[in-house]
Amino acid sequence: MDFQTAAKYASLLSKDYAEDIFQLLVNYQAISASEVATRLDLHIKTAQDFLESLEQLNILSKEEVLEKKRPYYRYILKQTRIVIDIDLMQVKREPSQNSMSAHIREKENAGARFSVARSDDYITSVTIWTGIGREREERKIKLTTLQGKFLYHLPFPKAEPLTVDEIMRKAAIDESLAPEIVDLVQLLEKYNVIESISEAAG
Amino acid sequence: MSLVRKLKPDRNITGALVPLSMLPIFGLTSLIFGIPIGLLTLAVMVALIGLFYLYVFIRTWNVFLLVLSADCAFFVFMLVIASGKLKDTEGNFMANPFDSTEFALAYFTGLVFFGFVIIFLTLTRRLKWRGREIFELAAEPVEETGNGYTSRPRPVGKVNYSPQQMRAYTRFCSSHLIALPYSTSKNITLVLVKNSEEFGRLLGLSGDYRDATWVNFDVDGEVSVHIAQKDYLDYRQPLAFDQLCTSLGQVFIDFFDLYDKGEGVRVIDRLDDLKISVLS
Repeated sequence: MDFQTAAKYASLLSKDYAEDIFQLLVNYQAISASEVATRLDLHIKTAQDFLESLEQLNILSKEEVLEKKRPYYRYILKQTRIVIDIDLMQVKREPSQNSMSAHIREKENAGARFSVARSDDYITSVTIWTGIGREREERKIKLTTLQGKFLYHLPFPKAEPLTVDEIMRKAAIDESLAPEIVDLVQLLEKYNVIESISEAAG
Repeated sequence: MSLVRKLKPDRNITGALVPLSMLPIFGLTSLIFGIPIGLLTLAVMVALIGLFYLYVFIRTWNVFLLVLSADCAFFVFMLVIASGKLKDTEGNFMANPFDSTEFALAYFTGLVFFGFVIIFLTLTRRLKWRGREIFELAAEPVEETGNGYTSRPRPVGKVNYSPQQMRAYTRFCSSHLIALPYSTSKNITLVLVKNSEEFGRLLGLSGDYRDATWVNFDVDGEVSVHIAQKDYLDYRQPLAFDQLCTSLGQVFIDFFDLYDKGEGVRVIDRLDDLKISVLS
């Protein structure tokens, strides 16, 4: 199951009235939105939206019924178990060969402020400013110790750029921790604190 | 040795302003409350300056600073007598000191003695904070320009030393006013202080020392350097920042090697050879 689907399940299950509606669905052969609404004292739109969402997730099926020429839907429970199963490894970003061999250095006039740890051997946070004029906002990014050590060894602006791999070696960071380093590099690239230099230019 | 300066000329008058500001205060208090009170006010201000130099001595162990404290103590004593407020059990200690030959004798002999000693110490740079010399030395090998300033510290290398060696070196740097040390259990940070900037730095008015220019030695021997933007902008040209940091770290590593070999005097010679004005 992907995150988005799991989030829909979780969102529906977190409603105050979710358990009551499921109780009705389990005990009734088929039930309409207005029946649910009057039974649980809900607004009909609330009941309708909830049932439609369950139907979209394939937990319910619906059948059209005609009453006095006005069609409406009756909902039938299709499955009696809901399992939310997420493989967290699906969001793990394995650093690519490209990201590890990219030549990087701090960007000139990045306008970021680096806070150094008391021990003076790693950076604890980077403060950046986004937007202009009245929209200008300060954003402080707290770093893990390893990220801080990596940033501490990042080449200065105008200095010879180094690959992510080389900086990690200088900072004595194990290769297995590359994902959190690459994540930081990508974030700081996005905020123009780090620049990637192509080998030809570098 | 090249005498082409890479730093802008020193136009900082803070060092002169602090003692000079005592004069109008003395004048105003004399005008409002009378000369005796003016003299006492001046005595209090001179005493504060004397205490400041005593504190700097305790902080740096530069014995020559004691001359300044002693000079201040002498003038405080003379000013209190001159105010006519110093009394013994039988009345005034000196009813009219301005008409007293003894007072004039004591004052002028003290003035000549302290004047001579202080001028000598100034001309021989014994009372001079060496920040500018260090910045010039650091910039000497850097020819490339191109800015690249960053507020991040730069690791510049590793030296092998014992904590005792490092403590002794720190003492050497502070007693010769090369840098002001700040020690923690894991680091010794040597903060560069330019002449006239010592008041703000030592009185804690210049902010956190970690925002200043420093060279840090940690327990593992790692050396890192941080250059404050204000000091970087003091160079005439935007020198290659990376090289400047490395060079500054190297200056202190070289000094350490010289000191460790018992050639600390060569460090002072190198600084003196730059022939930077004794007042800047």
